[in-house]
Amino acid sequence: MKISGGGGRSSWSSSTSSWVPTTSVSASGKRIQREMVELNNDPPPDCSAGPKGDNLYHWIATIIGTPGTPYQGGIFFLDIKFPSDYPFKPPQVVFKTRIYHCNVDPDGLVSMGILKDDWSPALTIAKVLLAVRSIFTNPDHYNTVVPGIAHLYSGDRAKHDGIAAEWTVRFAK
Amino acid sequence: MENNAFRDRNFADDEHEEIPESFVCCVCLDLLYKPIVLSCGHICCFWCVYNSMNCLRESQCPVCRHQYYHFPTVCQLLHFLLLKIYTVAYKRREDQTLEEEKKSGFYSPQFDPDTCESQAKFGHSGIPSSSSVTNLTSNSCNVGTSECTEQSGSTTHERDEGIVYSNGEADIAGTPAQTQEEISLQQKLSVADVTCTMCKQMLFRPVVLNCGHVYCQTCVVNNTDDDTLRCRVCQSPHPRRFPKVCLELDHFLEEQLPEEYRQRRDAIELKQIKVKLETTPSCSLDKGNKGENKDWWSDPDSKVHIGVGCDFCGMFPIIGDRYRCADCTEKMGFDLCGDCYATRSKLPGRFNQQHTSEHKFKLEQSNIMHNIMLRLATAQLGDTSIDLESVGNLEIASDGPTLFDDAVDNHSDSEATN
Repeated sequence: MKISGGGGRSSWSSSTSSWVPTTSVSASGKRIQREMVELNNDPPPDCSAGPKGDNLYHWIATIIGTPGTPYQGGIFFLDIKFPSDYPFKPPQVVFKTRIYHCNVDPDGLVSMGILKDDWSPALTIAKVLLAVRSIFTNPDHYNTVVPGIAHLYSGDRAKHDGIAAEWTVRFAK
Repeated sequence: MENNAFRDRNFADDEHEEIPESFVCCVCLDLLYKPIVLSCGHICCFWCVYNSMNCLRESQCPVCRHQYYHFPTVCQLLHFLLLKIYTVAYKRREDQTLEEEKKSGFYSPQFDPDTCESQAKFGHSGIPSSSSVTNLTSNSCNVGTSECTEQSGSTTHERDEGIVYSNGEADIAGTPAQTQEEISLQQKLSVADVTCTMCKQMLFRPVVLNCGHVYCQTCVVNNTDDDTLRCRVCQSPHPRRFPKVCLELDHFLEEQLPEEYRQRRDAIELKQIKVKLETTPSCSLDKGNKGENKDWWSDPDSKVHIGVGCDFCGMFPIIGDRYRCADCTEKMGFDLCGDCYATRSKLPGRFNQQHTSEHKFKLEQSNIMHNIMLRLATAQLGDTSIDLESVGNLEIASDGPTLFDDAVDNHSDSEATN
């Protein structure tokens, strides 16, 4: 099976191109399976993840709020969707638990460099979860999606942390 | 063989073969299959590299984001090495990959060990002088199909047999799978499998050129007499900077053949001062600062062929003239960039196309509409690309030898040098 995509490939060039994407669904499935085994053997700290149901391409994950941050004690649920040409395209990561954070838009979609242009096929879900966990302590200032929260973070850190902690108590416990 | 560094990453069908982490592809997380060594020294499978390349601009190494523009050829030394020491797992990968290739209709290059051996006798004359090398290449052009690279890879192989043997295990590549468990890895591996293309001794700090041939770092440095770094065997130019040492292979050799490795290290360290003196002129690589960034989107006259790669040098996407073979029937097609068309050096296609020298080429126009649209699209991305560029340069400056900084992509000059 042939799917367009892979790298920065644009599907509309494939009519004239000789080098076309060749990612197959089975290849991405194998890779996701391997990641699953790896995650079970050696889970990253404070994180867990696995397929939601029968669909290998739709996972659910949890991250526990890092101590020392306003997200401390919260349990955050995430939805992870793999594209069919994974790992050549990044997965989509969405917070199912509401969170007050400048990199998470109101729908929960996480905006981070590595989930967009800086994606590399060598990254795995374990690494993505660690990166998501790290924005609890250090927001990704280059990819903020909620300007209000970003402003508050740099202007009045105490107030920002207060609201974030309140949201954690309200939604994530 | 149960080393701590070795971890079983495999499924049940080959649990008795433990694949060291260094031979697990970072993209598919499986044993490397038809390994390609990028110029930063990182190894990935053929299809993993192909699929992670960027059709619009420079591609980046999945591990270190080192930028490259040319799709390298499969490293046959590593291919046969892995086949030999992890036969069962490698065969499994072969079957899997072949199945996927049948589905997609695109094929990776085939290496037949039989043709290798017969071809090897062909060049049985010791160290290749430049004349014998040209003989080899011109001959194989007539043959047309896939022998060209193979013979060069295997000549060394054949020649070394009987000269250097660590433990007398000549060739057990054909050993049936069920007996594999009993043979430990050290017994399977012999120095003859891992020799330098140039000095015919065991590799020490190996570097892999774009053509897939493996040299000791010192052997390549010694032999760059003109501006372009060229492979001594197949004469194909190595684009851009001096390649970095393939550390995975280096560590593997150090671990598996410690005695031989130590000897080689001592021998090379003795010569080191001399080598250093000799290599200083070779940083003439950086003169003629032409700027290696092919920023085609900032040049209104550039012609870019999106999603099309050159089957000889591997440039992807092709910038400048593009010649398409009118006679190749494979789905993948056969294309050459302007420089490679001019040099008439024809390796077999990178996707096992049965291209021969009788085939006719046709000059293809790049799609102007594509170019305009892309220039508009990439103009918005301009900022990020500059960022990446500077980051890439910084990274290289900090950990690569300063000697090779600003090394120029001489590839586009190769028309002149030929």
